[in-house]
Amino acid sequence: MKTEGGGETGAGKRVRFFTASRISQLFFLALFLYLFIITDYRGRDEISIGANSFFRMNPLVLASYILAAKSMTWLLFPALLMVALTALLGRFFCGWICPLGTLIDLVTRRVPKSGPIRFLRGRFKYFLLYALLVSALFSVNVSGVFDPIAILIRALTFFFYPLLGLAARSGWSGLYTLAGDGRDSAFFLYDFLRAHVLPFRETLYPLAFVSFILIVLIFAIERFERRNWCRNICPLGTLLGLLGRFSLFRRIPGRLCKDCGDCRKHCPTAFDEEVLQSGDCIRCMDCRAACNFGRVNFRPGMPSFSKDGTVKQPVLSRRLFVGSVVSGIVMAKGLSFRKPQTQDRLLRPPGVTDENIFFQKCVRCGECMKVCLRSALYPDLSFGGITGIFMPVIIPRLGYCEYNCTLCGQVCPTGAIPRLSPEEKKKSIIGAAVFDRNLCLPYAKKLNCLVCEEHCPVPEKAIRFERIGDIDYQGKKITLKRPYVVEELCTGCGICENKCPLEGRSAIEVFSRKLKRTV
Amino acid sequence: MKRRNFLKLTLSTIIASQLPSTAFSQAASSTVAVAEGTDYASITRKVITALGGMKAFVKPGNTVVVKPNMGWDRKPEYAATTHPAVVKAIVEECLSAGAKKVKVFDNTCNDARRSYESCGIPEALKGMKNVDVRFIEDDRFKKVALKGKFLKEWSLYGDALTADVFINVPIAKHHSLTGLTLGLKNVMGIMGDSRGYIHRSIEDALCDINSVVKSHLTIIDATRILTKHGPVGGNLKDVKVLNKVIASRDIVAADAYATTMFNMKPEEIATTVAAHKRGLGEMNLGKIKIIKA
Repeated sequence: MKTEGGGETGAGKRVRFFTASRISQLFFLALFLYLFIITDYRGRDEISIGANSFFRMNPLVLASYILAAKSMTWLLFPALLMVALTALLGRFFCGWICPLGTLIDLVTRRVPKSGPIRFLRGRFKYFLLYALLVSALFSVNVSGVFDPIAILIRALTFFFYPLLGLAARSGWSGLYTLAGDGRDSAFFLYDFLRAHVLPFRETLYPLAFVSFILIVLIFAIERFERRNWCRNICPLGTLLGLLGRFSLFRRIPGRLCKDCGDCRKHCPTAFDEEVLQSGDCIRCMDCRAACNFGRVNFRPGMPSFSKDGTVKQPVLSRRLFVGSVVSGIVMAKGLSFRKPQTQDRLLRPPGVTDENIFFQKCVRCGECMKVCLRSALYPDLSFGGITGIFMPVIIPRLGYCEYNCTLCGQVCPTGAIPRLSPEEKKKSIIGAAVFDRNLCLPYAKKLNCLVCEEHCPVPEKAIRFERIGDIDYQGKKITLKRPYVVEELCTGCGICENKCPLEGRSAIEVFSRKLKRTV
Repeated sequence: MKRRNFLKLTLSTIIASQLPSTAFSQAASSTVAVAEGTDYASITRKVITALGGMKAFVKPGNTVVVKPNMGWDRKPEYAATTHPAVVKAIVEECLSAGAKKVKVFDNTCNDARRSYESCGIPEALKGMKNVDVRFIEDDRFKKVALKGKFLKEWSLYGDALTADVFINVPIAKHHSLTGLTLGLKNVMGIMGDSRGYIHRSIEDALCDINSVVKSHLTIIDATRILTKHGPVGGNLKDVKVLNKVIASRDIVAADAYATTMFNMKPEEIATTVAAHKRGLGEMNLGKIKIIKA
């Protein structure tokens, strides 16, 4: 590979910015952002099957899914391919594809380093990965909380994207204040942005701040060493490292040269010691580009087992094993308490029939919440217990499930939210609506209303009404139309709760149902 | 001409000239034009022509709002939204009458993107010059003092308030609370805020709005009507194809006549009755001139 600025001495050559891996990184970052943006309703009922690619090719998602669900799904075949490629090429994903890694690389050059954190230096990353996998084995799949792609998607969905939308909208509104209808001359621009880039509706999410802080922390620990997250914490990276540990494609020579040793300076992840940690090497090949002597090469070679000390840290020990198994079980079973009163309102996306299976399969990636047309889905904090964090719940007062929409099932990378045809979707049950007659106007105040009945999307109407002759509080004879729910027809879409014109609490609310047959 | 007649005529003309113009236009406009046929664009043009042509309403350089019902995520055949062919014909007529700009919008009940997409109206108007089909933008709502019977003040859409001509294009359909939803009810689509609030006194509220935002022309789409489970519908069994379009300058007269399509009397629709009582138009079918166009 070519390098720029020859003639440096012992300090080594400066690595050119646009190396092959860098170009690949930028390409995949752009692709990632593009897929993020198209994960939305843009006038068509179908979303490209590629929208959730970054999760479907994700071996951590695959491993947790298989352990938790004890089955396989065709949706995750790309991840199998990634496993095979990693076994062959090593942990190249981190150096060539991972959008979070790319962002870290872009930020880290501006951050001075103060030296590694001791605590992370040990085997923490293995402990974390194993604990997550053990927890998955006990049917609580929490890997997604720490999955780098999921962390990034959530931070974008819950924090940055709404912020971008709000900024654009307030700018556009400000323009109206200044220029009035004159702003129409710029409408084509705003229209274009809104059609292709901006969110249609700026939704404020719970946990937005937590998602934001998580990503900020990942950047903040760059103060200690390069790619700190990637080499010391990231469970996906750790898993890829394990898979690619004995890959055929590797760096030669496998240790620092006695007369130079500059590789340690150039290497973002793997040269903590004299010997290259093969499981940490992300195949970015910066060392090759920087080598003054042309000695470094990446090519097929026999994996060298521990005899020359390549494998320094044991990836498993008795202590690590016991520790992670115990933590995994604690995570899976010890933290799964749920308050009964929040359970009543635990409303999952359409098509999710079994809460336990949903816990096994949901990645918490945030894709469904990103795509949700009416902003009905929110990351959970309080309904499903601590282990349910970031899983999607419907909060009907904020947004209802649009009758003809099937997008969440289309973008779910594991099928935790099943892909339903429009006909199936219209019959799948989320919950059941219940009136509170102490609040509902025709009952409580003898006023006609029927907003809920009007909006009910079920063609035969799951909310109906009876006509009752009554005398109002002024003594006038009136006919009241009093609504009631036909539970056999109600899907719990929540439009009634959403549109109820009472201020504050809705007089009709959707509660979860145990039995979720179709209507 | 005899002197007596001459004096009578002169005097009455002078007196008439001093009357508020509404007193006469009211009487003159209680004409309803109806056309039937399967070419919806052509019957729409026929009713407009029967009322004197679009030039009688739209002057060159005018900004026109055409307000169809695009409120629901339903395909046109389900009769929950105005037929795109009817809307398109109206927009074309406005343009050829010299309109500077025609704006088409609705504040939807279902998701705006899906509703606009499904109803087929934006699709039908795509690429037409000087026609704006846009989503509702929150910053364009203006608080308007209505000083009405039920609503003292409400947010109404600025585009509807500033337009030179407001053409109201509802679809005739069943509505559980009000019996039917027609022209008077369709104006709800320019309301902002939590519109559900007005359901508790909907006749008065609709009259309050209609007193402030007058429909210069009401064209009711009865090409197919929703007879049950309105206003959303969703079942083709509830749809009746009539192939009719109704138009009038008088919104109450248009509504009153359209009511008969459902085998109902105008008196049965409380909104129509309230509007008539408040002088918004004529509901007595005997006093309405009906032109079969």
